[in-house]
Amino acid sequence: MAENILVIGGGPAGLNAATMLSELGVNVTLVERDSFLGGNPKKFKYKFLFPDMQPADNVIGELIKKAEAAGNIKVNYSSEVSDFKENGKKFDATIKSADKSEIKTFDSVIVATGFEHFDPARDAKYSYQLFDDVIDIKDLERMMGENNLLRPSNGKPPKKVAFILCVGSRDRHVGNQYCSRVCCTVSVKQAIELREHFPDCEAYIFYMDIRTYGFFEDLYWKSMEEYDVQIVKGRVAEITSGPDNTVVCKGEDTLLRGPFEIQFDMVVLASGMEGGPQSPEISKKLGIELDEHGFLKPENVTLSPFKSNKDGIFLAGACTGPKAISDSITEGAAAAMNAYTYAVKNR
Amino acid sequence: MALEKNESRPVAEKGEHIIARHLIDDDSIKEEKNLVIDGVDVSGRWNTFILSRVDSEFDRSFFNEIKETVVGSRINRCWQCGMCTASCTVTPLYRRFNPRAFIYMMQLGNLKELKKYIDVAWRCVGCYKCSQRCPKQVNPAEMMEALALVVKKYFPEEVETKLKLDEEVKKIYEDMILGHGRLDLAKLHTSSMQKAGRAKELLGRIERDAIFKMAKDGRAFSILKLGKPRGWGRSKDAIENYLKNLKTIERNTD
Ligand SMILES: Cc1cc2nc3c(=O)[nH]c(=O)nc-3n(C[C@H](O)[C@H](O)[C@H](O)COP(=O)(O)OP(=O)(O)OC[C@H]3O[C@@H](n4cnc5c(N)ncnc54)[C@H](O)[C@@H]3O)c2cc1C
Ligand code: SF4
Ligand code: SF4
Ligand code: SF4
Repeated sequence: MAENILVIGGGPAGLNAATMLSELGVNVTLVERDSFLGGNPKKFKYKFLFPDMQPADNVIGELIKKAEAAGNIKVNYSSEVSDFKENGKKFDATIKSADKSEIKTFDSVIVATGFEHFDPARDAKYSYQLFDDVIDIKDLERMMGENNLLRPSNGKPPKKVAFILCVGSRDRHVGNQYCSRVCCTVSVKQAIELREHFPDCEAYIFYMDIRTYGFFEDLYWKSMEEYDVQIVKGRVAEITSGPDNTVVCKGEDTLLRGPFEIQFDMVVLASGMEGGPQSPEISKKLGIELDEHGFLKPENVTLSPFKSNKDGIFLAGACTGPKAISDSITEGAAAAMNAYTYAVKNR
Repeated sequence: MALEKNESRPVAEKGEHIIARHLIDDDSIKEEKNLVIDGVDVSGRWNTFILSRVDSEFDRSFFNEIKETVVGSRINRCWQCGMCTASCTVTPLYRRFNPRAFIYMMQLGNLKELKKYIDVAWRCVGCYKCSQRCPKQVNPAEMMEALALVVKKYFPEEVETKLKLDEEVKKIYEDMILGHGRLDLAKLHTSSMQKAGRAKELLGRIERDAIFKMAKDGRAFSILKLGKPRGWGRSKDAIENYLKNLKTIERNTD
């Protein structure tokens, strides 16, 4: 008899885990709370992905297609795990959707519940809720996905755009001390895209550190050397409104030693990633550990980053911390291998 | 080799012979005005040296000293993002007042650099906007207090000369509050101008017009009639006590 494995979350990590398991002949039950697969990249219509600017559809579309085509993956849309119990070495889970609820026994479980975008409205100094032309990187991803890069306030092409890094990350006041890892790269990528679309539009990036780690650095160099994106050192401390329907960034140029107040017609906040409400919920429901950053905690961050502290429950993707799609996909595969081994051992 | 000073010979300005003189700070030029070596006069031109302006030391003992104080204990947290300076009330008025830069100078023990800012270093008005913004909760507002203590301790003479006027005005202010329980702005202004040796300006047109106007609408007389606030004696004792304690604290941190 084939193994039964539960995968919670249908983003890049969960999709890859499910597909790999199906190829091993496992019966996979995939539970997704949204009405579609693809996770955050799909939800916010990411169009081109860093590091190589390939169309998101090449990656996300491909993952969805594979999962949907596999005969042994049962996808439950708009549903969740409402009840969860250990049953010897196995697990009994109730899967609930709007119209039905069913209990099933699984040999092992993969949690791939991902992240939430930090809501910039929570940091009042950036006036995200006050001004239409203050948006964040997920909004800009969505706008680009909808082929609309115009200023939200008046529908005109932007002439001068600022990117502000580390919004909702690396700040004791908002309660997130960690670095969200992807937002620097997303910002330089978007600055390139803006300059490509509107060669007349100036792009500035306000930074404290630019963390385009590893090969992502290529995009950072490209943004400056091929697209004349200007970087300015200093974290913006306030956004106010300016004359002629502009928004003003107030900060310190720490290299020139002095305050500035510069008008822009659009500001893009590089909001970070958070564990979201789903991480503590899943932690409680499944009895697995939450870490001090609000993400799920691996048994050993270095040795077994894809294992939870509970035998038979595995972790994959951004639910254990900010990371890129490639890492999420890799972890999906690692978790699949481990979940399969556990299931076979306890057959 | 005999070194001998010859006071009588008049010489040129310091560093006068350096062609790009305007590029070089006074402090970086070493030169004896009158110098005779072995009977040869080498004044001015021949003994002019331009000192290297490379920083050659990070003085961690200074950092440790700040860290020991209550107000400066979080100096190790600052990562120089500039949000404090960006939100500061004072910086837009005095660009040389830069909390972030001061914290950096203190971190590296760069007293040479700090010294250049003695006149503005104590200008913090204590609004705490910086501390509200600081993402690392350094509490830069209190770091500025640490800075003021340091400046007093390491540069007493400069404080004495550069801040003399401020100290005197502060004294007038304190006496006024303690003596009358009220601030008389007109009097504060006049006394400060006198101390600054600018009393003449008080007779300018704007001032004259203002005095005339105030006399005419009666405000000048109502000010004179103001008495002390009710029960002032007790408040006065409390303030005096506070000031006395403050002085003791300052002396102990020296
Ligand atoms: C603005 C932005 C742009 C980015 N651009 C790129 C890029 O260009 N290239 C790149 O490599 N990376 C990029 N990333 C990172 C990328 O988004 C993540 O690495 C990736 O989405 C993580 O995949 P995941 O499957 O772990 O999580 P998610 O994408 O968050 O998917 C999690 C899924 O789980 C579901 N779920 C959550 N809780 C439950 C629950 N309790 N029950 C059932 N289902 C649940 C969610 O609905 C979701 O479908 C970007 C990130 C941001 C913020
Ligand atoms: S990736 Fe860049 S923008 Fe994002 S938190 Fe880290 S340093 Fe800040
Ligand atoms: S407390 Fe001092 S340093 Fe801080 S913002 Fe106010 S004036 Fe500036
Ligand atoms: S805001 Fe805080 S961390 Fe940033 S420079 Fe000022 S004191 Fe340092």
